[in-house]
Amino acid sequence: MIKVIIDGQEIEAEEGQTLLQVAQSAGIYIPTLCYHKALSPYGSCRLCVVEIEHNDRILYHTSCQFPVMENLIVKTNTERVIQGRKIIAELLLARCPDSEKIQEMAKELGVVETRFKKKDEDCILCGLCVRICQERMGVHTIDFINRGIKRDIQPPFGKYSDICRVCGACASVCPTGARVVELTELSQKEPRPIFSDFEEGLTQRTAIYTPFPQAVPKIPVIDRNNCSHFLLGECQICVEVCEAKAINHEQEDEIIELEVGSIVVATGFDNFDPTEKPEYGYKEFKNVITGLQFERLVNASGPTQGHLEINGKEPEKIVFIQCVGSRDKDGHEYCSRVCCMYTAKQAHMVRDKFPDAKITVYNTDVRAFGKGYEEFYNRVQDENVEYLRRELDDPIQVVGNEEGVIVKAEGHPDIHADLVVLATGLIPREDTKELSRLLNINLSEDGYYLEAHPKLRPIDTFTDGIFLAGCCQSPKDIPDTVAQASSAASRVSNILSQKELEIEATVAKVDESLCRGCGLCIESCPYTAIELISIDRTGNKVEVAYVNEALCKGCGTCAAACLNGAIHHLGYTDNQILAQIQALGDEEI
Amino acid sequence: MTKAINTINLEDIAKKEVERLYPKKPKIVVSKSTCGLASGAAKIYETIRNEIDNLNLDWILTETGCIGFCQIEPLIYFYQPGKPKLFYGNLTEKKTSELIQALAKGDLKKDWILWKIEDEENIITDTKFNLGIDDELEDIVHYEKYPFFSKQRKIVLRNCGFIDPNSIEEYIVKGGYSALTKVLNDYKPQDVIDIVKKSGLRGRGGAGFPTGLKWELCSKEESDIRYIICNADEGDPGAYMNRSVLEGDPHSVIEGMIIGAYAIGSSEGYIYVRAEYPLAIEKLKEAIIQAEEHGFLGENILDSGFSLRISIVKGAGAFVCGEETALIASIEGRPVDPRMRPPFPSKSGLWDKPTNINNVETWNNVPVIITRGHEWYSSLGTENSKGTKVFSLVGKIKNTGLVEVPMGITLREIIYDIGGGILENKKFKAIQTGGPSGGCLHEKHIDLPVDYDSLAKVGSIMGSGGMIVLDEETCIVDLAKFFIDFTRDESCGTCSSCREGLDAYYEILTRVTEGKALVSELNLLEELGQTIIDFSLCGLGKTAPNPVLTTLKYFRDEYIEHIEEKKCRAKVCKALIEFTIVSENCTGCEACAKLCPQEAITGESKKPHKINPDLCVQCGICFDTCRFDAISISTGGTV
Repeated sequence: MIKVIIDGQEIEAEEGQTLLQVAQSAGIYIPTLCYHKALSPYGSCRLCVVEIEHNDRILYHTSCQFPVMENLIVKTNTERVIQGRKIIAELLLARCPDSEKIQEMAKELGVVETRFKKKDEDCILCGLCVRICQERMGVHTIDFINRGIKRDIQPPFGKYSDICRVCGACASVCPTGARVVELTELSQKEPRPIFSDFEEGLTQRTAIYTPFPQAVPKIPVIDRNNCSHFLLGECQICVEVCEAKAINHEQEDEIIELEVGSIVVATGFDNFDPTEKPEYGYKEFKNVITGLQFERLVNASGPTQGHLEINGKEPEKIVFIQCVGSRDKDGHEYCSRVCCMYTAKQAHMVRDKFPDAKITVYNTDVRAFGKGYEEFYNRVQDENVEYLRRELDDPIQVVGNEEGVIVKAEGHPDIHADLVVLATGLIPREDTKELSRLLNINLSEDGYYLEAHPKLRPIDTFTDGIFLAGCCQSPKDIPDTVAQASSAASRVSNILSQKELEIEATVAKVDESLCRGCGLCIESCPYTAIELISIDRTGNKVEVAYVNEALCKGCGTCAAACLNGAIHHLGYTDNQILAQIQALGDEEI
Repeated sequence: MTKAINTINLEDIAKKEVERLYPKKPKIVVSKSTCGLASGAAKIYETIRNEIDNLNLDWILTETGCIGFCQIEPLIYFYQPGKPKLFYGNLTEKKTSELIQALAKGDLKKDWILWKIEDEENIITDTKFNLGIDDELEDIVHYEKYPFFSKQRKIVLRNCGFIDPNSIEEYIVKGGYSALTKVLNDYKPQDVIDIVKKSGLRGRGGAGFPTGLKWELCSKEESDIRYIICNADEGDPGAYMNRSVLEGDPHSVIEGMIIGAYAIGSSEGYIYVRAEYPLAIEKLKEAIIQAEEHGFLGENILDSGFSLRISIVKGAGAFVCGEETALIASIEGRPVDPRMRPPFPSKSGLWDKPTNINNVETWNNVPVIITRGHEWYSSLGTENSKGTKVFSLVGKIKNTGLVEVPMGITLREIIYDIGGGILENKKFKAIQTGGPSGGCLHEKHIDLPVDYDSLAKVGSIMGSGGMIVLDEETCIVDLAKFFIDFTRDESCGTCSSCREGLDAYYEILTRVTEGKALVSELNLLEELGQTIIDFSLCGLGKTAPNPVLTTLKYFRDEYIEHIEEKKCRAKVCKALIEFTIVSENCTGCEACAKLCPQEAITGESKKPHKINPDLCVQCGICFDTCRFDAISISTGGTV
């Protein structure tokens, strides 16, 4: 431990630390532009210069570079230091007069205007980009060229770099806030931005991110597919920056095994991908978006803070197209049930924001089936929202022009629109089949999980103890989902609250003396109720089938499959059946 | 350690080779350093060669380094056994032929002799070699009495102009390598450090750090290897003492380095010399080979068990490479950005190993300190600045060249006694010391003793020893602007204070020279200067504002004159001067009109001409051309 006095405060420091690190740890603020926790100090901006008294000598040095040592008395705010910083701020402001970050820093130091001749630069040559590329990305695509006032940052010979990976780390650390380093000037490779899933691809995110603002737990995750460390073994800047030292790249996925009494499947749905229907022009035109993207755009915590803007402009003519991916004889034939109402809501929101906007909704029958839905639909129509009906089979097409797009629908005049919102339908999740196999539950023809009975047992599956809730069973709106989920919870409580379960008496039973442990019954059992167990038969260990009576549904498949006649169906043994037949005929056999 | 080291051997060589230096037949020696060559020494050498052949003379012809009086190059000396050495300067090919033919006939061309040497001093051995006396030449001035040399004390330049730099034997005759044998025989490394410490020798590169202490710090660092470096990246405009030493006496530097390496415990050394010094590099290369052949360098030096290898690294010409951490970066092959100290190179230098860097002149002093002792050395100079210092005396002065003077000599003695006063007897205005990072001193400082501390006190530095004399025809603002232009271009550009600060300096100074600045901006220059000094990392930034700050301090009226009266009293700043033709004097010869690049001068032949001020770019060609004083330069409304 080394004791350092900074601004009269005695602070304990570790060998190898710099004055800036020590000051920061003690909460003493020193301005800087070229310092980054995860990079080697470079000392180019000179803002962090402090006055150092060492062995009766007064020195002025950059605190980001000066190592702690014994007998240091440091002053971060002497008149001479403050005066110097102001001059530096004036010089940097003269170099980059338009940089907001530099203006902010200058203002913080009490400088509003520079007395030096203004230049037209946006780079302060702090070298953060050079250092991050070299030290953390392990690439060294760019470096300083020339010296003095001609100093600049470039890839070798100012030519496109072959080694640049267009990762964008250089641009990310730039303190001027301007993208001084243009990736397109460094490499001919296409940058590969990481789009935010939560923002429906409307914004980009970093490789370490909190999935969405209300995520539980609200902890950042690392996207291994895009993290530089996982891809190339370098970087780890996040580790340096995290003060809680909470980041561990060694962590692996864990499989947690739980023993449970019941399962509720509430895996939800996927959104229909409108690129499957190219006629809608989705992805082709920037002003064609999905309903979910619209939700992010009007959300106060969304990418535009709730300002509905498309290409930086407020839309004046908006077209909603319903039944995109639903009620489609060639695809998903079912009705997604929510699109009519969410479109109505979105149309209402647009009207609320833009009273003069022209709003058109192309529908193929409006299904306002829920409580209060029809009334809301009528209200929206009264708000000067034009509902145009088209036949399901009639083609609809979105084509581009200079200003926006044109929506062409059979039997209707073309509509010029600057925003088209596609009411995309709901589809079963991609992994539905996989999960159905895992849980041994069935799928209906439309690809959703199949309930045990559409009217009498709409929550249950054919496997006891496994229930369905929400859109994994079929598209439904929020009230229906809540109702089904409550019901599932109640069904689960029903099971979990009992000490013992009552089961049907008609189950299979193994005659262990006849069973040879061939396992045919196990394969045939649709309820995975049979397993092999080991028993003692005249001093020898042998394997025989065992029926878990709690799982057995008494279907009898196993009894029919058993070659040895070792499994009986209780209540339906051969003898009992024969006895019944005899009773019918009233004759001796 | 075997102590079979052979001072005797060395004495044998010296005895055997003495005839090489003082042969038994006539010898002509041509000064062939860069300054000599630039004045035509190569042709003079050729001419002498041809004359000797033509006249079939049994004479020896060799070369030597620069004696320091560059003004009178090409320079030769003529030696006859038993007679004084005679020096002839300002030679042309024709004059040389005539001289050789005369000498061959026994005519010494007395009128052409500059000075003579009867007793030649050997600083290392503290002896004199008596060359002989010639009664006929009694009235010829002695070298020691010759004005340019009389106040000089040549220690660093002891062999320059006296020995053939290509010959290790001549160096040995002059006492060379005796310091090394003495060190290896009699001293432990710490003894050497103590001697150098007691001598008071301070770094001659500019900063003046005590050399012995520097060595000691490096020697005490635990390490498997330590490096020594000779900094020969002489970059100050107008300073060339290092070049002269390397070209004229390379062994002295090598010997100093070997002694230093022994004291520090280093086995690997580098000489970082700028590539613009090809002749110095050539001489150094040859000298290293010779030293290795004689066992002074390489494995197991003189059977002492101590080894040292020295390599030459050529610098690419960046001024900032003279800064030690930048120099190290350059040797390592990295971009030459100076780095923070601490850690100092003595702790972590070249390839992160303890490293000792000294300037050419510092290394060169070491052998003398060893043979003559620290008491002798410290008797020269002042309280805190011991020994001598070489200055390159240039500018508006009669005698330009390299002068080596004891520390503490006054500027007046240098300018008037050695330098012979101002050119064309004009008025002395100022003297700039320490190169582009130094300061500009006023007439009132003329009796200032020249040493590290006195110069620092008045805002200048010793630097590597540049000394530029300015007369009334030098504009002080223009001069400051020149130096700032140099340092802003040579700044590595890392520190914003230096990079942006010096550029802002240049911009404001340019406006001053155009009469467009505000007087209030002079205060800004001072304010900014302090920040550049405080906030920059290396010596370049920390000293670069000196030319401006000192001129602002001592010549502020001239700045104000530029701004308020739009007047440049030296008539240098183009934006403030106007060329006109004095009709009464103009003969209409049209000499100026023919040369004017702007075709701004018009008029009828044989009648007074006129200059069109809109076309004139103030190049001054007309002024220089006119033989009738018909061109006048006005500034601030006055002529």
